[in-house]
This record gives sequence, C-alpha cells and structure tokens, in this order.
Amino acid sequence: MIRRMGACALLALCLIGRASGHRLDEYLQATLIGVTRDSIDVEIQLTPGVAMLPVLMAVIDQDRDGKISSEEERAYVGRVARDVELRVDGVPVPLSLIASNFPPLEAMRQGLGTIGIKLRATRSGHELRFENRHLPQVSAYLVNCLAAPPHGLVVSDRLVVSRQKRDEAQRSIEFEYSFDAATVPGPRTAWIALGQFWPAAIAMLLVARMGVLIYSAKHDKRASKPLRVNSL
Amino acid sequence: MLKTTLLGSSKISLLAAVMCCRLAPAQSSLSVASKIVASANGFLSTLDEGQRSKVLFEFNDAAQRMKWSNLPTTMVPRAGLKMGDLSGEQRKAAMELLAAMLSNRGYEKVLAIVEGDEVLKGASSGRGSPMFGRDLYYISILGRPSATDPWMLQFGGHHLALNITMVGREGILTPSHTAAQPAKYTVDGKTVRPLGAENDKAFALINALDEGQRKQAILNYKVADLVLGPGQDGKTIQPEGIKASAMNASQQAMLLDLVGEWAGIVHEQAAAVRMAEIKANLSGTWFAWSGPTTNGMPAYYRIQGPTLVIEYAPQPLGGDPTMHIHTIYRDPTNDYGKKSVGH
Repeated sequence: MIRRMGACALLALCLIGRASGHRLDEYLQATLIGVTRDSIDVEIQLTPGVAMLPVLMAVIDQDRDGKISSEEERAYVGRVARDVELRVDGVPVPLSLIASNFPPLEAMRQGLGTIGIKLRATRSGHELRFENRHLPQVSAYLVNCLAAPPHGLVVSDRLVVSRQKRDEAQRSIEFEYSFDAATVPGPRTAWIALGQFWPAAIAMLLVARMGVLIYSAKHDKRASKPLRVNSL
Repeated sequence: MLKTTLLGSSKISLLAAVMCCRLAPAQSSLSVASKIVASANGFLSTLDEGQRSKVLFEFNDAAQRMKWSNLPTTMVPRAGLKMGDLSGEQRKAAMELLAAMLSNRGYEKVLAIVEGDEVLKGASSGRGSPMFGRDLYYISILGRPSATDPWMLQFGGHHLALNITMVGREGILTPSHTAAQPAKYTVDGKTVRPLGAENDKAFALINALDEGQRKQAILNYKVADLVLGPGQDGKTIQPEGIKASAMNASQQAMLLDLVGEWAGIVHEQAAAVRMAEIKANLSGTWFAWSGPTTNGMPAYYRIQGPTLVIEYAPQPLGGDPTMHIHTIYRDPTNDYGKKSVGH
C-alpha cells in the first residue's frame, strides 16, 4: 500500500515544477496543545503538499469516486484521532472530537488546503505525553505546547511548563505543567514555579529571623536581671 | 541596480527620488508621521474613484487585516490594488509611500525579496500564466491615513507580507512575513541575498556560544516549518533554547543585532522604539536553534521574548533548502497594533 502511495507521489512530483514555491512532497502535521486547569485541547492542522494528495486520497476516498463525502471526512477524522495518543500522568486519556473542517478538494489540489481537527481530553494532571502515529512514511511533524490557550485565561491561571522533550521528528512531545505558584505544582516544577517569588520569600525569612533575634535579646535581658538579683 | 530593475528601466528617476527621500536627515516623530500621511494621500490622489474603492478598507476590517500569506497571489488571492494594474505614476507613488514607512535597509530588503520573485518567475516561465513576479504584489490601506488616528498599510504577495499599523508616532510592523526564493541570485553580476544578514548573523551567534550554551540553545529535533506562520494569529508557544540572560554582553549584542534585521525594517524612529522595548525584555528572551551550525547548511532558529516572536525556517522545497527561506515576525502583545489601538 505504502509502496503504491510512494509511486503516486513520485509521479505527481514529476508533473510539478520545482519552483512552485510551496510544500510539495510532504504531509505537514502541525499540532498545538493547549492546557487548562480542566482540560487539554489538541489542535491538529494537516496540510498535504501537492504531490501528497494522491497518497491522501488513497486513504480518505474509500469509494474511489474522486470526491470526499461527509462520511469519508468523518471516517478520516476518526482515523487521525485513533492514530494519536495522549497520556496524562502516564495514563492514556480518551480524546473527544470537538470540531473538524475540510478544505475544498480543489484547494488541496493546489497544496493550499488544511484539514483541521480539534480534540479534547477532560482529564488534567501534571505530566503530559502526546504522540502522533498518523502516516509517518510521508509526513513532517510539528508539535508545540501553547503558552496560553487561544482564548486566554486569567492571570492566576498562568501555565508553567517545564522539561519539554520531543523525538527527533517531532512525532511526540512530553512535558510537565502546573498552574502558577499558588496552586499544586507538578512533582519537579514546584521550585521553578516559585522562581519569581524567591526574593520576597528570602526577605520575609530575614525579617522573621531578625524579629526572633530581637525578641530573644530582649527576653534574655529581662530574664537575666532577676538572675543577677538572685545571685547577689 | 536592484531598485532600477524592480521598478522597471523607465523608473530610474523615480528611484532617485525615492532614495533621496530616504536619505533625508532624521526628523521629529511627528514630522515623520506627517510625511508618511502626505505620501499616503499623494498615492491616493493618483487613483481614480474605482481604484480608491478597491484599495481602501475600514480600519476594523478583520478579514482584510488577516488576508496575507506566504503563497503566491494566484493561489491565495489578496484584495487591494495589484501593482501590475497601476500606471507608472501610481506605481511610483505606491513605492514612495512604502519607502516613507520603511527604513533604508528595510526598503532595500523588500525590493530584494520582490526582485527575487521576478527571478523565480523567469525560472518558471513557460508554465502557463505567471504565479510570480513584481507585478503580482498588492497594496491596501485600512482606515484613512492620519497623523493621529490609527490606520494600516498592507503590502505583499508571494513571500512577503508587510502589515504596518500606524498609531500616531508609532509604527507597528507585526505580524510580518519575509521570505526568499531564490535566497541568492545575481543582478548584473552582483550577488543579492535578501535574507543574507538574517542567516549570517544567526550562524555567527550560534558559533559565538560556548559548548554549554550551545547545548541549551540547540533543540534535539527537526523543525520542518514555521510554527507561528501565516494563519496562526493570536497564538504563542512555550519558549525553548537558551535565555539571553545566560549570554554574555557580546552575545546579547549579537542577538539584538539579529533581531534588528526584522525590527529595523520599519522606519528608523519606530524601529528605535521597538528595539528599546525588545532590549528592555532581553533577559526574558530565548534563542533556539535546530540544525547544523556550519554556515551554508540549512538551520531553523527562533527568537522569542515577552513581546517578540521571530522564526527563520529553510524550506525543503524546490531543491536546496538554503535557497528557500520563510520567516515570521510577531509581537504576541501587539500584532496589528492591538495593544496600541485597543482593538
């Protein structure tokens, strides 16, 4: 199957000039992960290069009529959703389909069409791992964690992400996350989350220490007087 | 010679006029804004009613504001006026407006990108109607040119999208897309590299880092394309790489100089304000690299700070990736002047 796809792609490449100025022979799969306190959104944008359309049609166009029906769209979105995996704190988490959109076939023929799929997991935690196993033979991948969800959150919900790791092809990403310093941070991110408060924390400790010393000095002074009287 | 070619052989006097404008001594911010408005009104006055209705949009026209792309205009149609449809006088006035809004080097960069597309057109000629070339760039104005009220100029086409929001003395260039294919070409025996400084300064910086710093800066994965390119408005990703606060003063200066290749496209006074802002946020700015560190090889890099995102991405299309570069320049807090305008 993959060999046949490759032959189609090669043929298409031969028919396309070198100077077409946009993606040709790759299926770009760009994923952005948005983490909130209650959920994790996974937004995947899939853009087939011009030469990739025959390959992709072999996957999507099940009845081989040269068109993409609503049923075929749904089936393909389902396949992509099955080909990706999200784990939170090491546990696989089911992803629900929130939205999807298909560009016109003509746009994809010109290498302009992007298929959009938005998935959501309702479970949240501290450690996330995402992997995309969809059509690895023909794809280039990007995967990133958003600094803040697209619609924004209040300041107290500031997301703190650390220890990002990816494989070389960006098919997978893992990272730890927490929300601001006031909340329960991840196992290894608590100290990072406290970063901006260190100067204030140290100052408070110093003031407290000085207070203790002054109190002790006064207390010792008062306590020592009767001792001296008694000793006399 | 480059400008002469871009504007056409009969436009030598125009070039002289444009460059004379650019070589004028620095003026006050207000007079720069007034001069830009005068150039904009001068351009509009050369148009007939039908053309004016095509080039002018409401300032709050969000759909038009976001109508830009890296792709050729035959694939992603732009609104506004096509340069190829303008008369010589109108085209001259359009270029004068652009020159007034940009720095000398910014204007040169834009001309080099457009001229590169003309070279690409030559390389792909004979394949039906042209997709590339200097005639396929568009100009549009959102709002009405004003020294006080906000307005915006868009100029772009294949591999170029300038979105310049003017708010009184401010000139906001984000988001903007610069790119080049071919990234190196010759005009009358002279080599032109539209994004050559962006390449060379970045390689100089990565090689100025010590081994430990490079270990922080270099990502262990490939980056196939821009992450926050066209169509990704309003998004910001988690930063990676080495923080500028972990660089020494010389390395920080190199980083700022590199940033200046984008921030310095807009006219000098707006660029100075922008660079001051970026410098003030330097300790919170990150530099990430993916790819080999030998100049001449294809490598991706990203500079990301509280008010800044820059990406530079060689494209594996059309052969040698070093000959096809895409870049993006954003301010996540002020793209399209949203902070300055309050929209």
